[in-house]
Amino acid sequence: MNAASLVRRNLRDRRFQLLAGALALVALTFVARPLPLTRNGVEVLAVLDITGSMNVRDYAGADGKPVSRLETAKAALRDLVGALPCGSRVALALFTERRPFLLFAPIEVCADFAPLDGAIQAVDWRMAWEGDSRISAGLFRSVEMAADLGTDLVFVTDGQEAPPLPSTGGPAFDGKPGAVRGLIVGAGAYGLSPIPRYNDRGREIGFYGAGDVQQENRFGPPPADAESREGYNPRNAPFGASAATGTEHLSSVREPYLRTLAQATGLTYAHLDGPSGLPDALARAATPRPLPGSLDLRPLFGGIALALILAVFAAPLLGAGRFFIGKKV
Amino acid sequence: MMRVSAEHSWLLWLLPLALLPLAVSSQRLTRVSSIAAGPLDGLSRAIGWSLRAAGFLAIGGLVVALSGPYRQGETITRTGIGAQVSILVDRSGSMNETFAGRQPSGAEESKAAASRRLLADFVGSRAHDQFAVTAFSTAPMLVVPMTDRHEAVRAAIAAIDRPGLDYTNVARGLAMALSQFGANAANVSRALLIVSDGAAVIDPRVQGALRAEFARIRPNLYWLFLRTKGSPSISDKPSGEDTPQAAPERHLDLFFKSLGTPYRAFEAEGAEAVADAIGQIERLERDPIPYTEQRPRRDLSRWAYGLSLIGLLALVAGKLAEADPSLRRRRGRVDASVVEPATSRLAA
Repeated sequence: MNAASLVRRNLRDRRFQLLAGALALVALTFVARPLPLTRNGVEVLAVLDITGSMNVRDYAGADGKPVSRLETAKAALRDLVGALPCGSRVALALFTERRPFLLFAPIEVCADFAPLDGAIQAVDWRMAWEGDSRISAGLFRSVEMAADLGTDLVFVTDGQEAPPLPSTGGPAFDGKPGAVRGLIVGAGAYGLSPIPRYNDRGREIGFYGAGDVQQENRFGPPPADAESREGYNPRNAPFGASAATGTEHLSSVREPYLRTLAQATGLTYAHLDGPSGLPDALARAATPRPLPGSLDLRPLFGGIALALILAVFAAPLLGAGRFFIGKKV
Repeated sequence: MMRVSAEHSWLLWLLPLALLPLAVSSQRLTRVSSIAAGPLDGLSRAIGWSLRAAGFLAIGGLVVALSGPYRQGETITRTGIGAQVSILVDRSGSMNETFAGRQPSGAEESKAAASRRLLADFVGSRAHDQFAVTAFSTAPMLVVPMTDRHEAVRAAIAAIDRPGLDYTNVARGLAMALSQFGANAANVSRALLIVSDGAAVIDPRVQGALRAEFARIRPNLYWLFLRTKGSPSISDKPSGEDTPQAAPERHLDLFFKSLGTPYRAFEAEGAEAVADAIGQIERLERDPIPYTEQRPRRDLSRWAYGLSLIGLLALVAGKLAEADPSLRRRRGRVDASVVEPATSRLAA
């Protein structure tokens, strides 16, 4: 029997064919170019509420200590920035009073990660320029700002209006609902918690009491039930004679109100459960922006090659070897 | 030091599979009546062991390659020409008016838009400058921390001609802009660039703290005063009482002069004057600055695939060169006691 017929016979061996296939696949990893494809990125304007009620500590940190809503929201945004695919861009604005204040136009999340992350980390309630918290006005203007920047919107707030809305309700949204997509993120626990109070040097000095805040908005016409209030007088006491009572000095996430706002503006509502979870919620709500990406085919080739080699070596062990080994020619 | 890491390190748990070739051979099994009948053959042994090693290499190499090995990126510090510039931008409402103090109309440019355009050119004109941006109105706002990512700084500057806020509280803004320099690198050229169209009284209680900070950090101080036409100049003495409340610009200038740090004020009454001032600052701030360069991480899986390829080549060659003694026996041409071909012997 000559060498040629021996080689011919070896070429017919199933295990040789498997190994040769693996060799070809591994060789292919050196010439295969990554497959170009498009991925979904996002462009988003993140607006962070920095009003007083965001200082409420009703989240639990990793070590069980209470963490404020603002710190949790910042952690969630940083988590979001880290989770977005490269090429996505994020702009940051602060909200207090009745308007968002743009800190910077959209920044790319990978190449410029350090300044973006640093800027989110540096957000502080002390940056607030006024104490009011007119959520609906701020949200509507944020929607406008996002439309102007050509981005989606993530608006993080606890939904507590200060001063409280008048009985006639807040301002109406006059934009086109759904023109800007994105999330309203409700921060805070569902139960009431006290709001920390700070002095004019920024040091904490306790909590707000019932008498420290406006419990009822008494601008504009009185509510419909005013006539039944004690001491009601149409001219002298249109809101009743007794002082307003309420829980405006305590804070919880105002979910029904935020849902109403989300419906009016065409945004999606999501509750902030902790420092993670924003990426998934945003991915569902945001406009997908095509980004150039590439798929590395090498793991595919390598994986199949590995399976082939393992089949060659494992065959005798598994008994399937009869087929490979015992085959008579 | 070179640090190697893997993207899917859990896949490395599959590495023991690479020991499979030690137990099982890829070669054909041949029954011989007595293995002891063959003499010990050094070459056969060597070939047998190298085939095992090849199998080990082929499987191990693929497992490592699939786990995505890479050499971690490094940060290298080099020295270039540039400066650390902390930009303090006035975002009070009046910045949205023109230099003539009107609402911009037609081709007119607001003060904020002019400074936005010119600052954007300034940032990035030299590769190794580092910038930090702080905004101030009623409260100071940290916009971008000190960074050499000029794209991010330009994104921050792009936001400065949006509607501004209410007041000009320069003292707290100064404190935050100073804090942007950080503690390290004392021998770096540092510049604090204030862009504002007005001034405010600095509370005497804060003045001492600010003075101490300036003395510690010793930045070169530049004040780009965007003066509205007809409003008092930095050097104008008020006709009445000369108090900080009556002439805040003049007294802020006096305060800066008294700091003992290098200080220049540029009074710009139009976009050209602003461009001129920025050009001067650029020329003045020319000192060596250490900057960091990020070396990207390097993919090492190519090497692992290469190792696997070598192993596979040997395995395939072994399979190709395989002889089958049982075949010969059946044909009756070879006596069974004849030594088997090297490769199949150890495999048996």
